[in-house]
Amino acid sequence: QSLEPLPVPGPDFGALGEEAELVEVEPEAKQEILENKDVVVQHVHFDGLGRTKDDIIMYEIADVFKARNLIDVMRKSHEAREKLLRLGIFRQVDVLIDTCQGDDALPNGLDVTFEVTELRRLTGSYNTMVGNNEGSMVLGLKFPNLFGRAEKVTFQFSYGTKETSYGLSFFKPQPGSFEKNFSVNIYKVTGQFPWSSLRETDRGISAELNFPVWKTSHTLKWEGVWRELGCLARTASFSVREESGHSLKSSLSHAMVVDSRNSTILPKQGALLKINQELAGYTGGDVSFLKEDFELQLNKQLLLDSVISASLWGGMLVPIGDRPSSIADRFYLGGPTSVRGFSMYSIGPQSEGDYLGGEAFWAGGVHLYTPLPFRPGRGGFGDLFRTHFFLNAGNLCNLNYGEGPRAHLQRLAECIRWSYGAGVVLRLGNIARLELNYCFPMGVQAGDRICDGVQFGAGIRFL
Amino acid sequence: MQLFCLQAFLQMCNLPIRVICRANAEYMSPSGKVPFIHVGNQVVSELGPIVQFVKAKGHSLSDGLDEVQKAEMKAYMELVNNMLLTAELYLQWCDDVTVEEITHPRYGSPYPWPLNRILSYQKQWEVRRKMKAIGWAGKTLEQVLEDVDQCCHALSQRLGTQPYFFNKQPTELDALVFGHLFTILTTQLITDELSEKVKNYSNLTAFCRRIEQQYFEGHEKDSSTIATRSSKRSLLR
Repeated sequence: QSLEPLPVPGPDFGALGEEAELVEVEPEAKQEILENKDVVVQHVHFDGLGRTKDDIIMYEIADVFKARNLIDVMRKSHEAREKLLRLGIFRQVDVLIDTCQGDDALPNGLDVTFEVTELRRLTGSYNTMVGNNEGSMVLGLKFPNLFGRAEKVTFQFSYGTKETSYGLSFFKPQPGSFEKNFSVNIYKVTGQFPWSSLRETDRGISAELNFPVWKTSHTLKWEGVWRELGCLARTASFSVREESGHSLKSSLSHAMVVDSRNSTILPKQGALLKINQELAGYTGGDVSFLKEDFELQLNKQLLLDSVISASLWGGMLVPIGDRPSSIADRFYLGGPTSVRGFSMYSIGPQSEGDYLGGEAFWAGGVHLYTPLPFRPGRGGFGDLFRTHFFLNAGNLCNLNYGEGPRAHLQRLAECIRWSYGAGVVLRLGNIARLELNYCFPMGVQAGDRICDGVQFGAGIRFL
Repeated sequence: MQLFCLQAFLQMCNLPIRVICRANAEYMSPSGKVPFIHVGNQVVSELGPIVQFVKAKGHSLSDGLDEVQKAEMKAYMELVNNMLLTAELYLQWCDDVTVEEITHPRYGSPYPWPLNRILSYQKQWEVRRKMKAIGWAGKTLEQVLEDVDQCCHALSQRLGTQPYFFNKQPTELDALVFGHLFTILTTQLITDELSEKVKNYSNLTAFCRRIEQQYFEGHEKDSSTIATRSSKRSLLR
């Protein structure tokens, strides 16, 4: 298919008439300084489009027509290629830039051809997973580009020895701006939380709208969840037993993310701010609360390839009405991904060894990342590792909301748990990291469970 | 309905109790059945295990009986469980009119829509499956009422003119029978047929009234707690 540079709604670009002065066509033997040579992109061809509709393609490649010299054409074509790949509908995109042939060819006219291979209509995957005393089969199905405009339907089904879970989701981006999209999900997930002797089964529907506003990215979501809580063992404490049963949560939430870091895992510079609020109860259901939480991270590179990083997390849960908060909504603190040196989620209010979570918390950390001593494996495998020195602190408690903010701050400031230590961090791709630390927990209160000495952690989000 | 059996039994043993009603009692129970008791650190559910538990702690109502009488008591308790309990379940969950008008609204009342519907239907399928397994699914309402009548007849004959089933002292059987009959006599249903069947036997109604007066007037001490889904009622109107 061939696309002429016709006026397209939205992006604007100069009319064909504004071409630069005609360049003399020199004999081929002489070399030319290409970056100063003005060119005009006359045609953009697409090879390999099947079910994809034209309009979304046109948005992504509109910038290519604005290029004025060869280097610009190459750069804009590369950006267009990245945008096309981001849509998630092509397996491969190749770009070919050639001079224009044919009757209407201008001497400095260029043809850009995108050779694309669309993804198949249906892709499937099958995995087996073993972990947490349970084995399971996971089946995944994906329908990319369902109706031609980068809609995606995914289905995942996990059948395990203990629990079964599934999820179906539909995703649609807005043609022309991929960051504006919405998705609808239906799911059933089960979780086991041994630190609270609690088992939770959630069956729910959610609808989510994402959009950027200037430099921030916002998400608006409605979620309706049927929650079933149960005890994990006969020895569960009575406080956890009392929370067993069914409840329905219907909530609206809003999240804002500003991320200027250069990488998600082990960033060298930049900052992250995430603010999240959730209001439950006004759209149905029997759980009613207002929940706020935030996450802040600052990174700065120091000399000798080391990075100093500071992070701060905090949150508050305010139950509305006279029902107390549910254990499934409260915050938890402690563990290798949170305040290191303590066992997983084992800080704060507890009953007979089962941790009940708290309605307000804060946690902070200061880290110094340096390359491994003597830099083994430099330039290759060794670059994935970093040595890390940390200082973590935090507190988790329940608040009596009649007392007022001053009393709350006082409560959160007394009995602070903190820890320090050092260890090694391994970066896994751009998503996860592994840590092996030696920790010294301090400020331990009665009831907390600690993990002093060596602690291993794996995860996506670390304090 | 098992609450009254348990409450009567514990009152007869002279153990102080406190009754708490919770919507999620069924899910709090370790075996999924109500009622259950929470004593100190322990949670025990269902009448049989609770009786054993209380016996292990040194309280028992049937110590005075000899072996023959104990066997007889067990037989009658089985009869009550098989007949009366199943009949009550049948009426609550398998009779369409009752299900629609009384059981569904009552079972789903603590929950918001649509959870109330989902949970009621789930429970209904579970009970109907159990009925099918024990062969009651094919029975009609009349047959069930006939069975209840026969059961009451047997109990009435055994009771005769004695104050309790085993003469002077109440036993676990008395608590069990009282609990079931009291529930039948006081639960509001679409028709009064079930309670009429019981009322036909005057010594049974007198027996219930006697136990209610003796053990259920003004007993409110704290120690252990019982949890159930039903609410308080009284025979004396």
